[in-house]
Amino acid sequence: MALAFVTMAQAVDGPGARARTGGLAAFESVMRQHERLVLITALRLLGNMEDAKDVSQEVFLRLYRNLEKVEAANNYQAWLYRVTVNLCHDVGRKRRPSVAVEDVPELVSGAADPQQSLTGAERQRVLEMSLGALSAKEREALVLRDLEGLTTEEVARVLGSSEATVRSQISKARVKMRDFVERYFRRRI
Amino acid sequence: MNCVEWEERIALYAGGDLVPAEAQAVERHVSECAGCQVLLNGLRESLALVRDAHVEPMEAAHFAAVRARVLAELESAPARRWRFAWIGAMAAAAAVLLMALWPRSELRLAMPMPQVQAAPAVARTVPTPHRKVVAKPRPPQPVEEAAEPMVVKLLTDDPNVVIYWITDTKGE
Repeated sequence: MALAFVTMAQAVDGPGARARTGGLAAFESVMRQHERLVLITALRLLGNMEDAKDVSQEVFLRLYRNLEKVEAANNYQAWLYRVTVNLCHDVGRKRRPSVAVEDVPELVSGAADPQQSLTGAERQRVLEMSLGALSAKEREALVLRDLEGLTTEEVARVLGSSEATVRSQISKARVKMRDFVERYFRRRI
Repeated sequence: MNCVEWEERIALYAGGDLVPAEAQAVERHVSECAGCQVLLNGLRESLALVRDAHVEPMEAAHFAAVRARVLAELESAPARRWRFAWIGAMAAAAAVLLMALWPRSELRLAMPMPQVQAAPAVARTVPTPHRKVVAKPRPPQPVEEAAEPMVVKLLTDDPNVVIYWITDTKGE
């Protein structure tokens, strides 16, 4: 009687095999290049650093598994934005509470121009709360267009929407954000 | 009050999202409408505020934490893969032992392999689903006495593990 165990190549030719050939060092460099894009986009979309880290981790693991494909397409940014937004959409649908503009606390400040006297932490709070006042789609469009600086066309591609839809979402998001900020600083017209 | 019908265009104008012709129309309207001028200023100020907040540096420790978690996950991947591979292998070995100890009259499994000549009347295909062994008592057939080796191909739940059992026609 003779026994033979046959294992397929894919069982050993995964990330570990590449790691053994020094691939992890190179991948760490790739992560350093793109980590700000991924983590901060996730943070803006989710409003929570721990969730943003979880999403970032998953984005980079997926990037590692699809490295050759992404490298071949030569478009890291579009791929990273798309995967980050999709993962955040799944996570944020369950977790991010929305803030009605009417429920926004007003800042009591004696300064002539409260916006100018904000500390960094206060600015972050205004940013986070104003994003929380938007719908998920409006938030995604505004974060990519106004904060990350993508063109409307690029935003549409990342979100899988038409440019007309993105423009509508962006304009609504800007007006809501302006309403939020003005209420926060008690300068509502 | 600003004009509702201009609101969307003014919001797009504030972010530089209008083509020149549309932008000029907005500029003309805003120059004549105090309410829309206030709206435009508010939009610009709020955009500037959130953009400033967005570009403020973040603690490097957050990025380092993500990097460390990803690298740890990737470094642990080979060990975990091999652990699962061995679980599959051990399960397959147990299946082979079970078959070897099974009453010989009920063991009639064979699948012809291209590289091994099997006795035609004995060779049978292993049925699916995997590891479901159909063992039916069969009356003895003369052809089973042939001396050619028989190959049993065992498929396991793990698609990466396939077991070939080469034996004589008596299952020895």
